[in-house]
Amino acid sequence: MFFHIELERNIQLHPRHFGPRLKEKLKQKLMRDVEGTCSGRHGFVVAITHFDDFGKGLIREGTGFVTFPVRYRCVIFRPFKNEVLEAVVTLVNKMGFFAEAGPVQIFVSNHLIPDDMEFQPGDMPNYTTSDKSVKIQKDSEVRLKIIGTRVDATEIFCIGTIKDDFLGVINDPGAAS
Amino acid sequence: MSAEEEENAAELKIGEEFLKAKCLMNCEVARVLDHRFEIIQQTSDDPMNNISQVFEKSMQYVKRFSRYQNPDAVNQVREILSRYRLAEFELCVLGNLCPETVEEAIAMVPSIKSKERAITDEMIETMLQDLANIKKFE
Repeated sequence: MFFHIELERNIQLHPRHFGPRLKEKLKQKLMRDVEGTCSGRHGFVVAITHFDDFGKGLIREGTGFVTFPVRYRCVIFRPFKNEVLEAVVTLVNKMGFFAEAGPVQIFVSNHLIPDDMEFQPGDMPNYTTSDKSVKIQKDSEVRLKIIGTRVDATEIFCIGTIKDDFLGVINDPGAAS
Repeated sequence: MSAEEEENAAELKIGEEFLKAKCLMNCEVARVLDHRFEIIQQTSDDPMNNISQVFEKSMQYVKRFSRYQNPDAVNQVREILSRYRLAEFELCVLGNLCPETVEEAIAMVPSIKSKERAITDEMIETMLQDLANIKKFE
């Protein structure tokens, strides 16, 4: 789920940036430092939308660098256990398939794919039901439920399932063509 | 047990911080990111180099899965869903997935039927009907 939240961060600025454009420099540095990063607590920071408050700077002894506390609002993406969301399939193999929902990768193991769907190898590997009515392949859109998350320093990785009511393929690009 | 392991969106256990925060539906995120992307394009000579992978992927995702294109429709969806005193998180899951039946809505957002709330199946039915109407007349 995407959230819009307020966060605070201390930004260190070199003295050469002090001057009339100090705030601009702070904004630029904050955007460079924060956007595109990922933490276990807040998930992926997609974009900063507002700068709310620039606190008083504190000079660091010995270096001349100044630390400014900055409060800002940003759009973040954070997956939760048991959240249901839509995702795009990126890779299919005999172990299961990978899907992407925004910045996050979700793996759905073949144990968590309904039993009536069989793996079909080939140049377009896919999972298909015995009556061939439903097919999961690269670029399919699926609705899945996240059942576990693993948090790493720079990435969040999820395990999902489509073996439940109202989950599974919502749009198959191959079916249309 | 750590806070991480206790998380459960089905019971609306997403942590105090996220419960209070404003959630965004995919269509709302699309609007925010579009606006941001325009600014980047105007101010930078090489826009593709100035956006993070996270930004790019999020933008592609929300564009693909936006249910409502029209900003007015998005506001109406929010308005209708907020009548039922749903949590932000529940509101956005419903707005993103647009379930068609009451059973589907409950499967997507199990917390909607929690005991403290008096939301009946009929109320959910009306709510889904209202949402379907917005979609139809968008």
